[in-house]
Amino acid sequence: MDVLDLARTQFAVTGSLHFLFVVLTLGLAPLIAITHTRYAVTGRPVHERATRFWGQIYVINYALGILTGLVMEFQFGLNWSGLSHYAGDVFGAPLAIETLGAFFLESTFLGLWIFGWHRLPKWLHLACIWAVTLTAYASALWIMAANSFLQNPAGAVERDGHLVLTDFGALLTNPTLTMALPHVLGAGLWTGGFVVLGASAYQLFRRTPERELFTSSLRTGVITSFVGSLITVGFGYAQFGAISGVQPDKFDGGVLPGLGLGFMIMIGQLLQFVIMFALTPAVYWLPRWRWAHPLLMAMTPLPFIAAILGWLARESGRQPWLINGRLTVADAMSPGLTSGMVTVSLIAFGGVLGLLALVDYLLIARTVRRGPAAATLGAGAPADPNERAHALSY
Amino acid sequence: MDILWLGVFALLLIGYFALEGFDIGAGMLLPVLGRTQRDRDEIVTAMAPFVLAGEVWLVAVAGVLFGAFPAIEGEVLFGLYPLVVLLLVSWTLRDAGLWFRRRADGSAWRTTWDWAICAGSCGLALSWGMALVALAGGLSGPAIGLLEPAGALVMAALFALHGWTFLSWRLPGRVTGARRTGWALLGSACAAAAPVSVLLAVLAPWLLDHMAPAGTLSVLSVMILPFAPIMVGAQVWVWRMFGPGRAADRIPSFF
Repeated sequence: MDVLDLARTQFAVTGSLHFLFVVLTLGLAPLIAITHTRYAVTGRPVHERATRFWGQIYVINYALGILTGLVMEFQFGLNWSGLSHYAGDVFGAPLAIETLGAFFLESTFLGLWIFGWHRLPKWLHLACIWAVTLTAYASALWIMAANSFLQNPAGAVERDGHLVLTDFGALLTNPTLTMALPHVLGAGLWTGGFVVLGASAYQLFRRTPERELFTSSLRTGVITSFVGSLITVGFGYAQFGAISGVQPDKFDGGVLPGLGLGFMIMIGQLLQFVIMFALTPAVYWLPRWRWAHPLLMAMTPLPFIAAILGWLARESGRQPWLINGRLTVADAMSPGLTSGMVTVSLIAFGGVLGLLALVDYLLIARTVRRGPAAATLGAGAPADPNERAHALSY
Repeated sequence: MDILWLGVFALLLIGYFALEGFDIGAGMLLPVLGRTQRDRDEIVTAMAPFVLAGEVWLVAVAGVLFGAFPAIEGEVLFGLYPLVVLLLVSWTLRDAGLWFRRRADGSAWRTTWDWAICAGSCGLALSWGMALVALAGGLSGPAIGLLEPAGALVMAALFALHGWTFLSWRLPGRVTGARRTGWALLGSACAAAAPVSVLLAVLAPWLLDHMAPAGTLSVLSVMILPFAPIMVGAQVWVWRMFGPGRAADRIPSFF
């Protein structure tokens, strides 16, 4: 492989890893916010256990979302400095807005939520997880706006050899954004719904002591994936109109875009069929149908696979352009980049993040297997200082 | 407008050194101050609520570098290539150590990730020290020359001092055996942020020469400045919630 292939491989590997974790973050965040709200309103312990259990899965998943995201952010400057040089005045704006206006708040509020159990006032603690959810969605908006600019450089004109922002609104009304953003958010709900569904099926199959919790969450998983699949498939097909306008031969070029698109649609349609005609009508009885639970568990990875295939189709369909019609990937590569530099960083990022991703999934599986009783997120109340002093005096 | 965004950039970078510097220092000192597993749990519990709110300042620095200084974003990151790779791998290891150390049972598991925290924190301090020296030299020479190792050691010492002061403030008389006031912590924060502040002052004219055009900066101002009060408020809230005046945390906490 030459240096360009290596740099592209590095972006594909870190980008795919990043989206594997981000897609679940986007889907689980609203579910946890809703569960936490039910706990705050009713005060029922079963909702507290549910919030802590699903919340722990969410935060373990979130760790790799951050770590892969850091590498993504810095990778632009490392390997693709031609991009910021040529289009930074435009492309940099949504990225800067994402880091300051969304991720900065998301991370701060998530820290408050994780470590604020039994410390923060009840309603403020609840507000933290809603803030995390809102900022995660805002993050998705800005990152998708930046990516859509690469697919269709709207709102910018070329002056003196580089792009200048002329119409910020056009970044947000970009036809490659307006249909793709709901598509991605729907895929998040679908993935989150399937993880909740699969984990609940596992616990029910194992004759969990938490019957009420997992009966309810299995139904939540079905309804969430039903809604998610409708949004994903609907806005997925709606994208074809916009794409044929700005990238008419997007899926005709290489093997990867067509193949990725084809398999994604196949998985998506098949699953949507199963959700619509089997799972949703049977949602009331499904928690009791033990024979069906292994099938539900087996389906859990499919939305993840479809999501990665979708991204491969979207991104490889843009080749050889980095910014469609304006800047090629080859021209965007940092001048002076050598195979040695990319190889070392590819092994470092790919190796470390790949290994950590594997560990992360094993830890999520372990959290699912051990159930709500073993969740360490928000476990126990802090010892009352007076009571502790009293105990120490004996 | 140019001055405003230069100020935001400087504030974020200085904020990172002041607010994340003690987490890096405490991580470096983890095996030194935490002889027993219980001591290490206590150290991690003390720093845990500040980590997410602290490291995000650097994410914001990178975002503003891209948005407000696009002409030099690539130049700076590419010029520091090996150091940026080292910084990212170290950051990843440190964070993985924090998130994973209590996710499975057994002392071998936790000890392994405690070493990852220490190694990652040391890597962060050393790569920052070298990066600051390389930036001061104008990125002209090789990325790692003669002065860089000296810079790395100075930065590591400053972060270690900041981490030690933080632990003496947050856990008075415990793992460090010392007690420090909030004023002392402010002092060590200034010390940790001093090298980068000097560098920013030196580089300010160069940064001002490479600002994004006014149209881009206006968009950033309109889209980001309205959130500034919430961002500041959330950060202040973290410090009010998890300061030493509050009841001690259960040990260990989630991290």
